[in-house]
Amino acid sequence: MKIIIATSNVPFVRGGAHLMADWLGQTLRAQGHQVEILELPFSSRWENLLEQMLAFRLIDLSQHGDLLIAIRPPSYLLRHPNKVLWFIHHLRGAYDLWGTRYQDLPSSPEGLRCREAIMRADNAAFAEARKIYCNSQVVADRLARFNRVQAEVLYPPLFQPERFRTGQTGDYLLCVSRLTHHKRQWLALEALRHTQTPVRLVMVGRPDPGEETYAMELSSLIQRYRLSDRVVLIDRWIPEEEKIRLLAECLAAVYLPLDEDSYGYASLEAHHAGKAVLTTADAGGTRELVLDGLNGMVAAPDPEAIATAMDRLYADRSMAQRMGEAGRQRIAELGISWDRVIEKLLS
Amino acid sequence: MKLAVVNNCVPFVAGGAEHLAEALTQKLREYGHEAVLIRIPFRWEPPAKIIESMLACRLLRLPNVDRVVALKFPAYLVPHPEKMLWLLHQFRQAYDLWGTRFQGLPDTPEGRRIRDVIVEADNRFLRQVRKIYTNSQVTSDRLRRFNGIDSEVLLPPLADTSQFFCAGYGDYILYPGRITASKRQLLAVEAMRHVTTDVRLVIAGRHEAPADLAQIEAVIQQHRLARRVQVIPRFISEEEKAALLSRALACAYFPYDEDSYGYVTLEAYYSRKPVITCSDSGGVCMVVKDGVTGHVTPPDPQAVAAAMDRLYLDRAAARRMGEAGLELLRSLQIGWDRVIEALTQ
Repeated sequence: MKIIIATSNVPFVRGGAHLMADWLGQTLRAQGHQVEILELPFSSRWENLLEQMLAFRLIDLSQHGDLLIAIRPPSYLLRHPNKVLWFIHHLRGAYDLWGTRYQDLPSSPEGLRCREAIMRADNAAFAEARKIYCNSQVVADRLARFNRVQAEVLYPPLFQPERFRTGQTGDYLLCVSRLTHHKRQWLALEALRHTQTPVRLVMVGRPDPGEETYAMELSSLIQRYRLSDRVVLIDRWIPEEEKIRLLAECLAAVYLPLDEDSYGYASLEAHHAGKAVLTTADAGGTRELVLDGLNGMVAAPDPEAIATAMDRLYADRSMAQRMGEAGRQRIAELGISWDRVIEKLLS
Repeated sequence: MKLAVVNNCVPFVAGGAEHLAEALTQKLREYGHEAVLIRIPFRWEPPAKIIESMLACRLLRLPNVDRVVALKFPAYLVPHPEKMLWLLHQFRQAYDLWGTRFQGLPDTPEGRRIRDVIVEADNRFLRQVRKIYTNSQVTSDRLRRFNGIDSEVLLPPLADTSQFFCAGYGDYILYPGRITASKRQLLAVEAMRHVTTDVRLVIAGRHEAPADLAQIEAVIQQHRLARRVQVIPRFISEEEKAALLSRALACAYFPYDEDSYGYVTLEAYYSRKPVITCSDSGGVCMVVKDGVTGHVTPPDPQAVAAAMDRLYLDRAAARRMGEAGLELLRSLQIGWDRVIEALTQ
C-alpha cells in the first residue's frame, strides 16, 4: 500500500507527534508498505492559525497514495479521498483550554470569531474522515463533547520498547519531559520541599521555544528552596542511551502534567523500564495508564500530597519495584502494540 | 544557526532536486548548524492548482527558524524575514518553456492569467529576499531576462563523490537517469542506427510515464537494435550506477535546455569519463567543452553517432577527456565549503 503520514510541527521541536509519525512510518515500511511522511511547519501563534489552516486546506494530495493518516492538527484539513485520523489533540486554546490560564486565543470578539472558525473547519474535516482514531479516552471524550464525533481509542506504542531495561533501584525520581509550564516541573519542586526522606529528583528536557525563561525560573526555584544538593536539572535533550540508563536506575518516574491529552511517552518508557509512575489526579490521559496503588501512585495535585507519595516510594523500595513490574502488565492489558495500531489504521 | 531548507515535493517521487535538498540539510548539520528539511507538496494539474499551491506557501509560517534556504517554485514563496534562495529553477512553463512544446500551461485566457500571476508573484516576492543564489548561469540569466532580478551562481556539488571510480574504458556509452521526453534518451537510440563501429548503448533509469519507455522500445524493435542497445528500466542504486559508470566508455546526456550541468555530468567526470551532450542542452555546456572534456554535437542522430564512433575508435582520447573533466570540476571549486559559507553568511 502507498501511505502518506501527515503531521505538523514547530521546526526543531521534537514532540510526541513527530515521534508517532516517524515510528509509524518505520513500522509500516518494515511491513513492506511505501510510506511518505509529510511534516508541515506550523506556528501556534493564534494570529496565524486561520491562515495556516487555509494553507493546509489548499494542499491537495488526492492524486497520491491509497491512504492518508493525519496526526497533529491541522493536518486533518489536507485533502485526500481516503483519510484516516489518528487524532492526538485539538488546537486546545479553542477547546478545552478555553477559559483556563493556558487559553492562547483572546476572549475578544476577534478571538471568539477565530474560535468558531476553527471549530467549523474541524467539524468539516472530521466529517470527511473515513474513520477517527485518537490517542486516549480523554481526547475521545473531548471529541464527543465539543464536536459530537465518535472516535475509537488507539493507544500509541513506543518504538522498539525492548531497548529499555531495569537496573538497580536508585534514590532519585526521574522526570523526562519538554520544559514547558503545563508539564509542571515546578510542582515537583514544590513537593520536594515537603518531603521527609532524602529522596532526590532528576529533571531532563529541552525548553520549548519561548520557554527559556521557564527553565531559568526552575533553576532559581531550586536555589531559593535550597534544593541544589537534591535536584539535578538537565535542560537539554540527552542521548537515548543516557536516558535509558537514567530510567534503568531510577526509583520511579514522576510525570505531573496538567490535563494531558494522553499518557505521555515518558510514562510508557518508565513502565517498559519496569518503573512505577507517580502522577496527579488532574493529569488527564496519564490516569488511563496509571492506576493508583497498582502500577504507580495518583496523588492529589498539591505539594504535600505529592511529597507523601514521594516519601512512600523512597521508604518502600519493594513496593516501588512491584508497581514497576505491574506497569509492564498494564501495557499488555491495554493492548498497546504496533500490531494493533497497523491492523486498525489499515482496516 | 537554525536553518530550514525549504523545497517542493510530490509524494513518492524523488529526483535530483530532492537529493540536493537532503544533501544540503545533511551538510549544514555536518558544518555545525541545526538544519531541518521542510517539504511542501506542489500540484500543477489542472493548472488552477498552481495558484492554490502558491497561496498555500504564502500562508504557511516557519517559527523557530533563524534562516530559510528555499530551492524551488512555489516553496520559495513561504514568508520569512531571513530568506535566502538557492534557486534550482523557476516555474519554467511560465517563462522560457512558454511557446515551446514543453509549455504545459494552456494557451487560453485562463492559462495566460495563471502565467501572469506566477510572473507577478516572482517579481514581487523574489525582490524581498536577502540574497538569491542560483545553480547555474542559465538560471541566473533567465531571472535577469524575465524578472530583471540579479543573482549569483553557486554551483551544486555532489552529495558524495567517494563512490565513483574508473575501471577502464569499455565498449558502451551510458545514459543514466530518469527516462523522460525532455531528457531525450530517444535521440541516443536514434543515433545508434547511424554508428559504424561496434559501440553499444546502455540506458539505465526509471521511466516517468509508460509512453516514454514504450517509444524507446518501439524504435529499438523497429530498427533491430536490441543487440547493441540495452535498456535497464528501473531504479538504479548508487552503487549500481557507480559500477556502470566505472566500465563505461563515455556518458551521454542530452536534456533539452537544462538549467544546470546536471548530476550525470559530475558523476561521469568523477568516474573519469567524457560526456557527449548537445549544443541545445543549456547548462550542461558549461562543463562539457567540445574536444576537451567530451563532445558537443548538434541535436541530430548522425552527429551524435559520429561522436560515439570517435570515442570508440580513440580510447586514449576518451581517457584524456574524462580526466580533463575531473580537472575542470576542481578548477571551478565545486564543493560544499563554498556552498555552506555562502548560504550561512
